[in-house]
Parts: sequence; structure tokens; C-alpha cells
Amino acid sequence: MNHIVESTTCSKVMNKKENIELHTANTQTIMDKLAILTDAAKYDVACTSSGVDRKGNGKDMGNCIAAGICHSFSADGRCISLLKILMSNECAYDCKYCVNRRSNDVPRATFTPDEICELTMNFYKRNYIEGLFLSSGIINNPTYTMELIYQTLYKLRNVYRFRGYVHVKGIPGTDPMLIQQIGYLTDRMSVNLELPTAEGLEKLAPNKHRKTILTPMRQIQNGIVQGKQELALYKNAPSFVPAGQSTQMIIGATPESDYQIMSVAEGLYDKFGMKRVFYSAYVGVNEDKALPSVHTASPLLREHRLYQADWLLRFYHFRVEELLNEKHQNFNILLDPKCDWALQHLEQFPVEINRADYQTLLRVPGIGVKSAQRICKARRSGTLNFDHLKKIGVVLKRALYFITCNGKMMYNTKIEENYITRNLLAEHEKLPFDRDGMTYRQLSLFDDAQENVDLFGGNKIMMTG
Amino acid sequence: MEEYVLICEDSMDGILTGVYEAYQFKKNRSIESHDRIHLATSEPDVYRFFTEYHRIGTDHTKAEKVTDTIIRQLGDESYYRLSMTMVSCFEDKADAVYHTIVLGLSTHDRNITDRLQDDYVHRAFRYGRAANNELNRLREFLRFSELQNGMLYAKIDAKHYILPFLMPHFADRLPAENFVIYDEHADLFGLHPSFKQWYILQGVEFDEGRLQFSETEEAYQELFRCFCDSIAIEARINPKLQMNMLPLRFRPNMTEFKQG
Repeated sequence: MNHIVESTTCSKVMNKKENIELHTANTQTIMDKLAILTDAAKYDVACTSSGVDRKGNGKDMGNCIAAGICHSFSADGRCISLLKILMSNECAYDCKYCVNRRSNDVPRATFTPDEICELTMNFYKRNYIEGLFLSSGIINNPTYTMELIYQTLYKLRNVYRFRGYVHVKGIPGTDPMLIQQIGYLTDRMSVNLELPTAEGLEKLAPNKHRKTILTPMRQIQNGIVQGKQELALYKNAPSFVPAGQSTQMIIGATPESDYQIMSVAEGLYDKFGMKRVFYSAYVGVNEDKALPSVHTASPLLREHRLYQADWLLRFYHFRVEELLNEKHQNFNILLDPKCDWALQHLEQFPVEINRADYQTLLRVPGIGVKSAQRICKARRSGTLNFDHLKKIGVVLKRALYFITCNGKMMYNTKIEENYITRNLLAEHEKLPFDRDGMTYRQLSLFDDAQENVDLFGGNKIMMTG
Repeated sequence: MEEYVLICEDSMDGILTGVYEAYQFKKNRSIESHDRIHLATSEPDVYRFFTEYHRIGTDHTKAEKVTDTIIRQLGDESYYRLSMTMVSCFEDKADAVYHTIVLGLSTHDRNITDRLQDDYVHRAFRYGRAANNELNRLREFLRFSELQNGMLYAKIDAKHYILPFLMPHFADRLPAENFVIYDEHADLFGLHPSFKQWYILQGVEFDEGRLQFSETEEAYQELFRCFCDSIAIEARINPKLQMNMLPLRFRPNMTEFKQG
């Protein structure tokens, strides 16, 4: 792979491939570094490769598929789509929840730009990954760190000529010029919100401030909008963060309610044009009096409910106010948020499958985006009955309480909250986990919301955004 | 009432020729309904009474005519979906495709594949979806290894004949690479020479044991296994979920599930 390098604007070092040593005499091999810097990056949840369609150019390696591609699934069942690593786990900050905080005594390592490029190219070529996810601990200061990330991406794009997916973390407090430059090299950029509220942030991340986090978010949002206008004017204008920006917050390390968390998420979607908000169930890695005990189970079920609600916001046209409110601050542990909503709004049911509009269909438990679309398409050429719905993929055992076909319900059922709740609970909800927090013994502890929030598990894989 | 079964070759062109011949057959024999004609891709286990069986040879010109008609009248999307059904591994796929086409052409419905309340359409949809799912899975789970001469080699074991649909995906992302994908199940090779058009090769003597891998291949495989191990969060280990997402049948050909 010898490519001619045209760019003259950058220093010589950046325009040359340097040989990397797969087996170094150094104390740290690439393998050691990879193990350390992958381990250090694993708590970051945003590992999707979606949002941008970029065909190959017939010369260079790589393309992008809008739906995203997962290449593998690790032992925890989460998807592996990108080479998710830190540039370095050296860190000048001391965030209480973070395994890489300054005061922790953990093995440290730093990749060189060439090491990252070679790993990316060689993994990509073998179809191990869809691209690179690069984040980093703070080396010296945010701008210095992002400068290193910029060099890496510059090399990857211009020297190694990589056209696959790149997701980069924006570090709050970086020189805006640098954010701008990186935006043209990456597909997605994300700035971590870290914790749902400013108070939580102040308590657990003394070096980070809400305002410095929101500043680059706003800058990226404006850049994307401006970039789209430029693209409309000049076809070949370089695209700025074409796959959009995302963010993530840690759930369960601080005492926010689901209502607060979802309201923050909704604000991010509405006001910052986020593509995705990710929720990361807190995993205790540090002993600290400001944090839940390290032995507390990760709140996986809560995380799962938040993702379900997040889906309702993004694809089902729900608003947070419909799902939660001041009086009803947390999601029902036993029922998914959509079922829960439907049971609170029985006056809107049953709906007639052959007439209800798409948005109404979406609100029926047991009908997802795909089946709602299929229903709308199929009924153009004739009326549907329950047998047809089954073929289409509607989960009838949930939907049957909420729908009619040609004016008839499937069985003679009561439309009554307690009755339906009992029946829905009898159909065990398929949860994507079975290990943590779902024994009845723990459910009986459910009185104290704060304590028990930490007891339940849940986990949702984001394959595509 | 007498029924007719046309037996065609198990390939896209074979089935499309079958569709052409079925229309001809109906016309020549003045049969009042397509319902009495069926397509099959293999001889039946049991021959039925009052049924005529005819064997159809594949004719690429006729197949092309049918393809043109489908694309013109039913659109590209319908053609793609029907193609996925035709390459699937199900026995009665040809009949589902044939009757879906009949229904589509008679009702001039470009969205014929959405008409899931129809039995034939629903079957065609299910079969096509199965093949398409496998295609997507293999886009994800296929693994290349680098040979000594720099060529990339991958082995797959596909239930459905999706290799021709897999090739364009990799040809687009790896234009400069010489690569070969070997479908063990169908004993077929997809070959892509650097910067050239890909093609499918059949009936080649091949001994995987004689492949020589490049010097760095082992090291990168080891690195990837290390990556996959390190990325998992211990507190969330969940083999059942992993199995749902990544079924066991794909694992024998995947780098990260092989012992180094």
C-alpha cells in the first residue's frame, strides 16, 4: 500500500508512515498497549458505526454504510463495531468514577499515531472492525491531547488513506479551532455529558464543568448545520461530522430520577440536534465515599428502561412528559415504558388496525416500527385480520388487549388496567440479561427507590443508531 | 382438476426461465388460472396423481426477459427482494416467487412484496428475509486472513447462495486488495483481483491446508483476540445475549473464536 502523499501543509512527520514494531524490545509491546488502552476505553458505550453513507472511491480502502455494521459481540453481549481505544490512559484529571483518574495506580500506556493507524488499517482490512473510535485521557491539557488525536486522524485519512468510519471524542476545553479541524476528519464526534446534572458533575468530576462541556457540543452542532449549507452550495465542500454528534451519561452514580435523566436527553435531542444519547449503567471501579459501593450491582435494568424510553422518543413520537412527570418520576421496573403508558391511557384503546394512522399504531404495545410500517403497506391492498398480523410480526399476546380488526377484538377481553397488567406480567418480558438483579428476592426490596435502583440490571445493545 | 408442475434448475436464471415457461405453458395449453401451475426446483419425493411434471432447461435469454419485465413493472426493490428469495435455501421458493410475480403483474402493484396477507407473497418474504439476514450477518462476521503473497482469504459456510451479493460489498471497500471468499457449503469461490471486476469460480480443486499465511497474520489475529477479550466488561458478562447476537454456527470461521 504505497500511496502518494500530496498534502504539503503539514509537517514532514505527519506525512510519512513510520514503521511500527509489532514485537518491540521495549518493555511494552503493542499487545500490552492494546490490552491496557482497550480495557481503559471499554466503559464508553457509544460504539455505533451508523449515520453516514460513503461509497468506496475505487482507490482507497474503506466505505461507510448508513445503518452501521457490528462485526462481533464481546462476552458481555455488546457489539464490537469500532476499534475502541484510548490514545492514552495517562490523565491529568481526577474524576471520581473513572478508572483512569490521576490518583489511581493502574498500568499506563500511550499509542503513537502510527500504531493506531496500522492497527486500524490491518483490522479493517481483515473485516474485524468498521473503523476507529478514539478517545483519550488528558495528557497535559485538553488542547495538547486533541492535537495528538488530530495528528492521528490526519495521518489515517491522508497518509494511510482510510475512508472507513471514525468516531472521536471531543474533550471539553479544547481550542475551538482544533475541534473545527478534527470535525472535517471524523464522521462522528461526541462530547460526554458524563453525569445528568451539573450538581452531579461538580461532585464527581472536579475538573469538568457543565459549561465547558456544552460549549463544544454547541460548536459541533453549529458546524454541522453550517456544513450542510456549504454542501448544498458546493458539492465538494468537505463534510463536517457527517454522522452527527452523540453523547453519553453515567446512570446510577448520582441520585437523579429517570424523569430528570430523560428530560436532559430530550433537551439534548431538541436543542443540540444529537443523533444519539447513550446511557451507561454505572460500574463501580473506584472506592470513594462520594460513590456507591463497588459491590453495588450495576443498574442494568434501569439502563434498559432508559434505552427503551429513548427509543420511544426517537422513533415512536413520544414526549418525556407523556411517560414521566413530577409525581411519577421513575419507570416501572416490571413493565416496559410503552406498556406502562398504554395501561395509563386505556381510554385511547382499542385502536382499529385497518384504519388507525401510523403514529397511533406505533403506540400499541406489541407493534414496533417495522410491523407498523408493514401494516400500513399491507392494508393498502385489502383488510387485515389477526392471522395476517401474526404473519406481519405483531406480538399478538401483547397487542391483543389494545387492538381490533374489522371492529372485533381477538378474544373477548376486558379493557381494564389490573386485568391487562396481570396478563402482561404473566407473559414474561424478554430481557436481554438474566444474571443480575432479576430474582424475586431482590424485587421484594423494591420499596426504597434509591437503594434499589442499583439492584436491577438491564442492558440494551445499540447495533444501529 | 389436473395440476402442472414445472421443474426448473435451482438458480436465479433457472427459476426465472421457469416463470417464463409457466406463462407460455398457460397460454399454449389454455389453462384458465396460474393457480394450477407450480414451479419446483427439484424432483418431488412423491409423484402425485392427476399432476403433469415437466422439466425445464435454463435459458438465459428467457430469464433476462423475465428480469426486465419484473424491473420495469414491479421496480428494482421488488426485484431485489425476489432475488433474495430465489437464492434462499427453501424447497418451495420457486413457486412462491412465481405466484408473487403473477399477482404483481396482474394487479400492476409495484409494492407487491408488501402484500403480506397473501400466502405466496408472505412465503417469498420470509424466505427472502432469511437469505438477506444471512447476507447481513456475513458482512459482519466474515474474517479475512492475509496470505504470504498479500492476498486476503476468507472462508464462509452460507446456507443460502448469497456469495454474489457479498462480493460487491467487499469489492467496494477493498478495491486495491486481491481477495477471495470461499463458500464451503456451495463449494464456490468469489474472486476479486486488485482494481478489477470480481467474479465467481466453480469446481476448483482446493486444499485449505496448503495456504501459507503472511508473517504478520498471526500477530494481528492475536491482537484482535486480545482486543475482544479486553473490551468486555466483567460486571456485564452475558453469554446468552452474546449467543443471540452471534449464533454459534458462524464462530468456527471467526478469528476471535479460534484458539491462537
